[in-house]
Amino acid sequence: MSRSLKKGPYIHFKLEKKIMDNVESGKKSVIKTWSRASMIAPEFVGQTIAVHNGNKFIPVYVTENMVGHKLGEFSPTRIFRGHAGKKDKGKK
Amino acid sequence: MKKDDCFYFGKVIKTHGIKGEISIRIDSDNPSDYSDIKFILLEINNKLIPFFIDSLKINQNKAYVAIQDMKTIEGAMELVGYEIYLPLDQLPKLIGNKFYYHEVPGFKVIDKTYGLLGTIDRVLEYPNQAVFQVFYKDKEVLIPIQDEVILKLNRKTKTFEIDAPEGLIDLYLNS
Repeated sequence: MSRSLKKGPYIHFKLEKKIMDNVESGKKSVIKTWSRASMIAPEFVGQTIAVHNGNKFIPVYVTENMVGHKLGEFSPTRIFRGHAGKKDKGKK
Repeated sequence: MKKDDCFYFGKVIKTHGIKGEISIRIDSDNPSDYSDIKFILLEINNKLIPFFIDSLKINQNKAYVAIQDMKTIEGAMELVGYEIYLPLDQLPKLIGNKFYYHEVPGFKVIDKTYGLLGTIDRVLEYPNQAVFQVFYKDKEVLIPIQDEVILKLNRKTKTFEIDAPEGLIDLYLNS
């Protein structure tokens, strides 16, 4: 069952406050959070959020296509090493 | 040819038609870059065996390949399931700030504020983004691979000039 629209998206109030402070001041400083369940709002775009995965903080640079997803989706709690011989991957 | 000199290209998924063609799944961001390859290497019993290509038709991330001297479906069926590799020199050359993840471990990372952070240990791939893993003052620092962060890549000196977001390096140093 999906979340009631009446409630609006869940964003931890402390995280929301830090994001809004950053947006209003035009800063791009990293925001540390443990709130993996918080949804990414359009205001988050361009911010870097360090999301805890239970072990360490993973820096997540928020882009437009992440809006609507939850922060935890981008900070996996398990390690996937990938295919050993896969080299056709890169920043292109 | 050694496996270290090759990269994973895909896998033979099934036969195609009855004339000995095979269908392969290409594991690449741009499969069309490989439309003119002359041979593929199949890993059979931990050895890379070359198979020369008669014709190759690429359709999105799949390709239909006709192998030289293979005209029967029985022969093609023997190749199903094997992994395909290509020599590293077949990778399209990247220029400017573009790079392959496998080529950057060992490159130095110089931050605008902190100066030399260290060398890239490896690239960690996370959903939707990847990060450089660098050890600075014996602490793990993760740097997101984004255009806003990477200012310049110098292949000759093997250095990345970066502008890490404010507070990112402190976050790891103080943990």
